[in-house]
Formats: sequence, C-alpha cells, structure tokens
Amino acid sequence: MRELAKPAPVPDADTRPFWEACRAGELRAQRCTHCGRFRWPPQGFCPGCYAWEHTWERLAGRGTVTSFSVVHHSAVPSFKDDLPYVVALITLDGTDDRVTLTSNVVDCPWEEVRVGMPVEVVFRAIAAEATLPQFRPARSASSP
Amino acid sequence: MLPRDQTAIVGIGWTAFSRNSGASTKSLAAEASFKAIADAGLAPRDVDGVMSWYYKSSDGVSPVELGAAMGLDCPFELYVNAGGHWMCGAVTAAASLVASGVCKHVLLYVARNGYSEGRGRRAAESNLGVGPDQFRTPFGEHLPATTFAMPATAHMARFGTTTLDFAHLAVTQRQHAALNPKALMRKPITIADHQSSRWISYPYRLLDCCQQTDGGVAIVITSAERARDLRHAPVYIMAGVAGEGETSALWETNGVNLAPRLYGAAGVTPADVSFAELYDPFTAMCMLHMEDFGLVPKGEVGAWVTAGKNGLDGETPVNTHGGLLNEAHMIALNHVVEAVQQLRPGGVIDDLCAGPHTYDRNVCRQVRDPEIALLCGEAGGSAMLLRK
Repeated sequence: MRELAKPAPVPDADTRPFWEACRAGELRAQRCTHCGRFRWPPQGFCPGCYAWEHTWERLAGRGTVTSFSVVHHSAVPSFKDDLPYVVALITLDGTDDRVTLTSNVVDCPWEEVRVGMPVEVVFRAIAAEATLPQFRPARSASSP
Repeated sequence: MLPRDQTAIVGIGWTAFSRNSGASTKSLAAEASFKAIADAGLAPRDVDGVMSWYYKSSDGVSPVELGAAMGLDCPFELYVNAGGHWMCGAVTAAASLVASGVCKHVLLYVARNGYSEGRGRRAAESNLGVGPDQFRTPFGEHLPATTFAMPATAHMARFGTTTLDFAHLAVTQRQHAALNPKALMRKPITIADHQSSRWISYPYRLLDCCQQTDGGVAIVITSAERARDLRHAPVYIMAGVAGEGETSALWETNGVNLAPRLYGAAGVTPADVSFAELYDPFTAMCMLHMEDFGLVPKGEVGAWVTAGKNGLDGETPVNTHGGLLNEAHMIALNHVVEAVQQLRPGGVIDDLCAGPHTYDRNVCRQVRDPEIALLCGEAGGSAMLLRK
C-alpha cells in the first residue's frame, strides 16, 4: 500500500493565482495597489485600507523560520512514511513580515531546524495540478 | 459589555467521561442537561434557550434536535462553529440573552463521542485541502498538537522555556486529577514519566497532550434576580469577553488583547483571581494563558510552574480538576463546571473528602476560600470572570 495520495490543495477564486504561480516555479503574494500592504492568506480586499485592487508580487523565495514542530505521529496514511517531518511557519522576506506560510523544512535533519533559520523555497510537485512551496536551509546570498 | 453580576450559573451537570460511551450524543446531551436543570431546581420546560458549539463540523446533537427531543416550546437556539476559542464566548452569549430579556433560562451543553467516533472523522478531514486547510493539510499539519506547537516553540526560543517546564505542569495537573473521580487520567506521573513519553509533535510529548473524550456536560444560566430563588447559591458572571485580534508575536495568545478588557469590565486585577480554569489541550498553551491573563509576568511561566505556583495551595491554583489534559475534553465546558463547584458555598462535591473539606491534598481538591475564578478559551479567544 504505497503511493497513497496526499491531500492536494484545492484552489479557489482567491487562492488560484498563488497555486498557479507555484506550478510555474514562482512564489507570489498579494500586495495592495492602494496602500502597498502585503497580505496573507489570499483574499479579495486589503485588511488595512479595504481597497480591492492588488498585484501578485513575485518574491525572492527567501524567508525565516519563525516557529516549527517536528511531527512524529500521524493518523494519515499518506504521511506515515515521512515521519518524522518538520512543519514550520516561514515568514517571507520582502513582505514587511505580513506573509507567513505554513510549510515544510526539507533537506535538513529535523534536529538541526531552529527558530530564526534562514531558508529558501524549493518547489515540489505532488500531483499534476499541485505544486507545494517547501523550504530548505538557505545556501546562497542570491535568489534561487 | 455584559452587565456585571447580573447573570449567574445556577445548574451544572455531567455524564461519565469515557473512551466509548456506547450512547448517542443526543442521550449524552440530554443526560447532562437533565442533571444540570435538576441541579438548578428547574424543570426541563423552564428552559427557553438552548446553545452549544463545535469545531469545524458538528460532532454532536444540535440545539434544534435536543430542544425537539426535550419537547421544549420554541426555545431560542444557537449552534456556533468556533472550537475551543469560543468556550467563554458561549457562556457570555448565553448570559447576554438572559441579560437582554430574550431568554429566562439558557441551557448550554457540549456532548460528543470525541474518542469513539472522532478519530475516523478527524482522519477524513485531514485529507481535505479545502478553504483555510489548503494551506495546512497538504504540508502535513493535521494534528492540533502540530498547530499549537508553534506558539510553544516560539516561546522556548524567545524566553528559554523548556520541555522540563512543561513536565512540571503535567505532573501538577495530574495531581489535581487524582482527587477527581470523574477524571479519565488519574494515575500519578513523575517528571521522568513525562520526559520519557514518546514524541507526538515536538515540542509536545504524549504527556503534554489531552485526549479526546466521550461524554456530556451542561450548565444553566439565568438572571441574578431569578437565581436567588433557586436551589444553589448563584455563581455570578462578573464579565465575559470574546473575539480575536492581532498579536505582536507567536509567543503571545489573543489573551493579551482580551485581558485588559476583561479585568476592566469586572473592575478587578489579576491579583484578585483566587484560582483559574484555563484552556489546556497542551501543556504549553495553558502556560501561555497563565502569562497572557496576568497570573505571571511574560516569559516567567516556566519558573512559576516549576515552583508549583499553579498547585492547589499555590499562588493561583490552575485547572483544579486536572483540566482537559486529565479530566476530559468537553471543549472546556467542564472547566466551567469545576469553577462553579469550587465557588459554591459547599465547594466541590466529587473529590475524595468524606464530609467537610479537609484541604488534605491526598483527598481534597477544594481551593481555600475562593472568591473569583478566571477562565479562558483556546489561545485566549474568549475569557470570563466568575465570583461567588
């Protein structure tokens, strides 16, 4: 019983541009055209000034681990082979700390993950329609 | 603002807590409700408001179904999808219906087969990546232990809190549960037991986590005026608040937003709190609540619980029944039941004292001369103050 399907994100009208960008290998976040504020999660209007106009800004794909958990137990069959794995909150550079994603820290022993660790995005296709942004320890000063 | 001391909790009831009730949630809700109504000295048809709440998807009988099953005459019904955050908000909403005159006697209940039926339901939910979950479940954030690890890990990084601190809280609350026959987890544990229990989701080990439960709990709320004619001395609702805003950092809960409003509405300070029943699905969440509602300065809760200041004879006893961690996970409506028991003139009726309270901590879990109780919901999403 291998290759069990993992839950894939189901995009909606607010979130589709984010997931489509991930499929294209780009990390993007919404920014208000009126006041310049970044926001997360995706939504139609700015929580600061309530303007609806916005852009999907391309980000450098770098960020910082602001907290994390190491999952050692799962009741979800498709994740059991991954145990233990790291779920982390990643605050993205260039967003004035307004965009913090829940994601995974990969390519790093779980014992070495720390709050404050700089990370960079790696894209992982989990299904034909779904690509997840995950993060690994930052390797270079330039954008990936 | 809820008018101070104008509403009261006058009835409390509960079923046995177990891992396999063998009963429907309608029966569990009804059993707890009938007991709470009788405890108040009322009859079922005196109830004209019925309320409950749940997390994500209904896992029990709705107020509409329960009201119909009890043959009530057009009760005001409210069923809220809000989870543990809403705990004191539910009580505040019920009290508001009473204070405004919409209802005379509101029945508030939680009934769930959270263990026997909940596991399959939660596993199925973990496989859905819809709505807010599209940013969680695909990354393997399925367990509440993972979600609520985030504030804990951040607190550890910022203030040097350790899992050894968590252990002290786990041991103290288990000591409280040992004096509570209805608690599911009563066997004493040691610091070493905690530290050697298996990881669930770092920084939480098995003994940092509560477990899901089958059972039911209910309370009855009425006006202070009507309460004086009922069976027990009223336990007054001094203030109740709910609602979430932004916090400045992960190591803070929404309690930092609500605490000033709560204490301001009641006209008291944290120093006036005799004991507290705080939402504790995981050890560290309870610790953050202790800080954010002012029982201990920010960043100092590790030393505070290590010194046992949350014990029954400590500076501020916390979770005197053992909490969600040990008694049961009734979305903390069981915390309200415990607070009411502690504040009634005769004190708790189901510790191990035979006769008057002795304060011998081998048998007695009654707090000494309590006046005011602090309660809060998950992540400080709601809070209230009760008094005798």
